[in-house]
Amino acid sequence: MTSHDEVATPSAAWPQQTRRGFLQISALAGATVALSSRMARANGQIGYWSMDLPDDKLRGMYRTILRIRWHERTMADKMLTDSTYRGYNHFYAGQEAVATGVCAALRNDGPFEQIDLVYSSHRPTGHAIAKGVDLKAMCAENDFRATGLNGGYAAEMHLSDPSVGFIGADGMIGPGPLLAQGSAFAFRARGSDQVSVVFAGDGTYATPHFHSALNNAKLLDLPFIYVLENNLYHQYAHYSYSCPHTDIADAARAYGIESRVVDGQDVFQVYNAMKDAVDRARAGKGPTFIEAKTYRYYNHWGAPGATAGELGAFGYDPLAISSIRPERELRNWMQRDPVDIARATLIDWGVLDAAGADAIEAEVRAEVDAAFAWAAEQPLCAPEDGLKHVFATGTVIPRQLA
Amino acid sequence: MTVKTWMYSVLEAVAAEMRADPAMIWIYELTPPVASNAGMPVINLETEFGRKRVVNTGIDENWMASTVIGAGLAGSRAATYIPYQGAAMPFQVIQNHAGKLRSMTGGKATLPVVFIMEMTGQTPGFAGQHSDYEIDSYYAHIPGVRTVVPSTPYDAKGMMVSALRSPDPVVYLYPAGLRMLSEEVPDEQYEVPLDKAAVRQEGSDLTIVGSGAGMPDVLDAAKRLTDAGMSVEVIDLRVLKEMDTETLVKSVAKTKRLLAVDQSYYTLGPAAEVVARCAENVEGARFRRIAFPDAPPPASPEMFLWMRPNADHIVAAAQKMV
Repeated sequence: MTSHDEVATPSAAWPQQTRRGFLQISALAGATVALSSRMARANGQIGYWSMDLPDDKLRGMYRTILRIRWHERTMADKMLTDSTYRGYNHFYAGQEAVATGVCAALRNDGPFEQIDLVYSSHRPTGHAIAKGVDLKAMCAENDFRATGLNGGYAAEMHLSDPSVGFIGADGMIGPGPLLAQGSAFAFRARGSDQVSVVFAGDGTYATPHFHSALNNAKLLDLPFIYVLENNLYHQYAHYSYSCPHTDIADAARAYGIESRVVDGQDVFQVYNAMKDAVDRARAGKGPTFIEAKTYRYYNHWGAPGATAGELGAFGYDPLAISSIRPERELRNWMQRDPVDIARATLIDWGVLDAAGADAIEAEVRAEVDAAFAWAAEQPLCAPEDGLKHVFATGTVIPRQLA
Repeated sequence: MTVKTWMYSVLEAVAAEMRADPAMIWIYELTPPVASNAGMPVINLETEFGRKRVVNTGIDENWMASTVIGAGLAGSRAATYIPYQGAAMPFQVIQNHAGKLRSMTGGKATLPVVFIMEMTGQTPGFAGQHSDYEIDSYYAHIPGVRTVVPSTPYDAKGMMVSALRSPDPVVYLYPAGLRMLSEEVPDEQYEVPLDKAAVRQEGSDLTIVGSGAGMPDVLDAAKRLTDAGMSVEVIDLRVLKEMDTETLVKSVAKTKRLLAVDQSYYTLGPAAEVVARCAENVEGARFRRIAFPDAPPPASPEMFLWMRPNADHIVAAAQKMV
């Protein structure tokens, strides 16, 4: 790993003069992409690391964003149009740049003892794809298939694949950050340079776990990164119902933790902040808190209010009994779409042209369609298998039968 | 009398108590205290009583339960509605404080508070944390906390009134799968006691005991067995703590056969307690129980629906006994 050297030379010259030139020009022109890069520069210390990445890595990040986007759209459309489809999701569309930028800065391949670990939330499919979980196996799991990622035991809320460091989704709000810093504790204890990352929502601020995780991670200088995806809503309530801060990072800062606010719609801004955080953690300099400002295009759960073939849920959600998300807010956020921002940036950097970007998207759509088709052909679970996996060995007794 | 849903009946009880007691508090997250019903006014506790008394919180069930306990210690009646995703999160403060404070203070502490614990609708597909039905066993084990689990809209309202008026802390288990059940429910306030089981059907061959969200399947099975010529007595526990031993023993002394049914896990579920109390008090009876296996509920509907005790399982078990 070269990350320690990079930390030591944060002012290393950007090798890609064309990209740098673009940013300076577009910053003057006030283009959308430049707006976020100016925000990053205003933060002072953040290096624009993503510009140093090889072109194939950058194209890979764009592909990951698209794989998440089309997984979410395809699944939402299936929920809306196919009454025999039983899968469901807490959709991640709109937040793709966060998972992609975070996981692009992590070690995702190799022996389990060396890769970085990610703890996810109840909104896990984007995190799973970005960490490298097999798309077909995940689609089959979400469809309750015996050959799914977790044998049909998990479905969306408990997706898990330790082989790529995706410890997994969690249907509860709160425990995830604490469990993640527990892994970081183990890394420090065994002298590993692995890092442990949790993706958690704005709803976690109000839980006691948020405060305990940050306090202890700081006291022990754990290699722990808390990625708080602030998509403005926990379940059906705006986060102002449970947090007095506009920036939740302000609260993290009070624990003495390095804390950043990033534009969660811009994958390169997310990557930049994450790379700093990972370098700090690997160097034994302790935890980092990253608040990514983002938005989900669908409602809390499933696809109510959405129309098949159309991105986003603009209609009524019967579950949102007393807290309706304003349509104007959603449309505003969609103006700064993570797919569009990544595409425009890479085209402007000369990493992709429009035809190349379209070709990637066509490949991704074909891959996603094939994954859902494969999943639909997979066998259902055998009922009695429900008695397995309670302990490491054996089965439990079927007590429903006299 | 109007035909009302379970959900409406419960909030009707709460709204009337809050009108009568301007100090009373309601705390919720996710599930707004709003209910409508044909022919009845919409109930919305938040708009009627304001955000000083009715608060939508962050996702912090420990805060919700602790705040209610603190309010009770300060002399206010208070209730909180904890959705099923978080129904065990506040366990510690209910177990160690709500349940023990009266005793530990030599009777000085009084906690007129209600913890409404939503239990899942047992919807297949939602896996270990969202299809489980287990908190009846956990909360029923706590001394000093009255734990009840109604199964009809009439009882849901009457037991809510009793719970809110009780000087003891009450864990009111709320099976989400029953909230659209409807029946005639009085408009005025009335109490259903917090220490009595209900005999839902009288019979002499076999006693079947169930509770909460398990009751629709128990009643369905009892009907099928009755149609097939068996004389079945059906008991709805309603109260887990303090369990109504007398009604159970009286029935089993008559039928000499007890089938106890849990939706909860087999080990130490309410059915285990039912069998133990009857075994201690009835000579020469036969006992059986069926329950969810001691396994977290898997996501796959094929696995989950096979494991969840249903009317078919109950009928099969009953036929082996009679």
